[in-house]
Amino acid sequence: MSGRVIVITSGKGGVGKTTTSANIGTALAKAGQKVVLIDTDIGLRNLDLLLGLENRIVYTIVDVVEERCKLKQALVKDKKNPNLNLLAAAQTRDKSALSQEHLKSICDELKEEYDFILVDCPAGIEQGFQNAVAGATEAIVVTTPEMSAVRDADRIIGLLEAKEEIESYKLLLNRVRPSMIQSNDMMSVEDVVDILSCGLIGIIPEDTGIITSTNKGEPIVNDEKALAGMAYQNVAKRILGEEVEFLNLEEPKSFVEKIKNFFTKLFGKEQG
Amino acid sequence: MSEKGFLENGFIIDLSNAKSAADIILELSDILDLPDAKGKNICLKLNDIDLNKSQIMSINSLISSMGSTLAFVSTNSNTTKDSAESLDIKISELKNEIEVQELDESTPEADEEDNEYSTQSYETLDYEDLEEEEEENEIEELKEAEILLEDLGELDEITVEVSDEEALTETVSYPSYSEDDELEEEKPMEEKEEEKEKSENEDTSKLPTLYLRQNLRSGQTMSYDGNILLVGDTNPGSEIIAKGDITVWGVLGGIAHAGARGNETATIRALKLNAIQLRISGCYARRPDTDNIPYIQRSNQFIPEEAMIENNEIIIHKINEID
Repeated sequence: MSGRVIVITSGKGGVGKTTTSANIGTALAKAGQKVVLIDTDIGLRNLDLLLGLENRIVYTIVDVVEERCKLKQALVKDKKNPNLNLLAAAQTRDKSALSQEHLKSICDELKEEYDFILVDCPAGIEQGFQNAVAGATEAIVVTTPEMSAVRDADRIIGLLEAKEEIESYKLLLNRVRPSMIQSNDMMSVEDVVDILSCGLIGIIPEDTGIITSTNKGEPIVNDEKALAGMAYQNVAKRILGEEVEFLNLEEPKSFVEKIKNFFTKLFGKEQG
Repeated sequence: MSEKGFLENGFIIDLSNAKSAADIILELSDILDLPDAKGKNICLKLNDIDLNKSQIMSINSLISSMGSTLAFVSTNSNTTKDSAESLDIKISELKNEIEVQELDESTPEADEEDNEYSTQSYETLDYEDLEEEEEENEIEELKEAEILLEDLGELDEITVEVSDEEALTETVSYPSYSEDDELEEEKPMEEKEEEKEKSENEDTSKLPTLYLRQNLRSGQTMSYDGNILLVGDTNPGSEIIAKGDITVWGVLGGIAHAGARGNETATIRALKLNAIQLRISGCYARRPDTDNIPYIQRSNQFIPEEAMIENNEIIIHKINEID
């Protein structure tokens, strides 16, 4: 078996790489895929917090590369879904503790047994980014509809294109506020896609639920009612090759409309 | 890629391809890890790279922690020369040709490079020999002080130095000191096991104690070969590791590891025990998932608690419940 190695990157910090990694990983695991999430943000690890696995980490990726433990021992199983595994970053070290070869060999080893290896990339384009990208063959570029994030995404796409190993990359637009787009205060999805000329794999609406889910250590895809959760679920389906329409993000005005919207969405999904 | 030369008890390391101080430290820690690289007088061959004083200092301390000495530096850069000289490290020119014995790992091409090594460095190495004996004694002491913790893989976080002023400051490693993490190196297995028997279940009240007034933040590690008394908080993401007991006068929120060399009588106590993980000797306990809230709940009413091993499990008592 040979799994797919997907790096989740953005260039700019704070656009939601880690949230995206946690949610896509959880959604894929829920769909029955065997998933490993690798946190490469050594020294500033967060992925374990988002998954609520902080208290279970004994070994980290640095222990693996420095051969203090086997790769298997360092994988932390998720509380709910045994298909989901986390390879945590070390908190007391920095990015120089890893090299591109380390990541490559770890990904190659994991590929044999798992369907998906999602690599959560640190912000920036320095060694941390180079390490994270080293083992991957696909990339998801996360950006928000802000000029600065789009600029950085453009830079990252340029770097990804220069890498022979990266066969395909897709854009994920995060923290979209339909109301602001309507009032012309925010770049629209089309604007961003235009600027970056890159295939879109998902549009995630801004959702205050993300904050609570982060604090609870529970990815938002586990919340069936949350719009952002549904959007992430759709991203996972698209990764698996299903054709899913993008969510209609226009905020319904009344409660009744909300419900109506929800049902039409469900119905639409079944057809797709 | 680097070539390694061998000059009696001297040891030349060619890092002329290194682009940054981080490269050098990475390469060095790999090379010095080889069993042949212990207790040597090291000559560092650097090309044009500019190193400042603190970079050379950290390279120097890396080498000495691996049981070797940085005897001299060969470089084309004036900056590096100046900073090395200010630290009393000799500058070598490496001009004349001398036949050099190779280590197993050297590549065939190493020959050509090695021929550049000079008589000057050779002589200086001889001179350094005189100090060799002293050096060896020191290394033995260090080895004796090595610790065992392979179960939890925390071994290299624990510093080797014991109980002198300097060691105390060095035991606190901040993220920016990342090189320091690589300083403490694993020693062969047999030594570790002997050491384990010696230090097992020793009376912790007889160990030296490190007293500190500060907070330990995420990413910071504090380790000491004795007891630790910390007046302040430790935050999630920090690690506190002691050979003996750990006492925190404040909130314990990170990872705490007492009896890190295999002492099962060690205890951990804090005004508020909110640790992500508690480890005593080889036992391990984690914070319940229900309490797994990533921020410390500050409270004016702390309940002092103490954790200890009972029947191979970590048990937490309220302090006033213990007789």
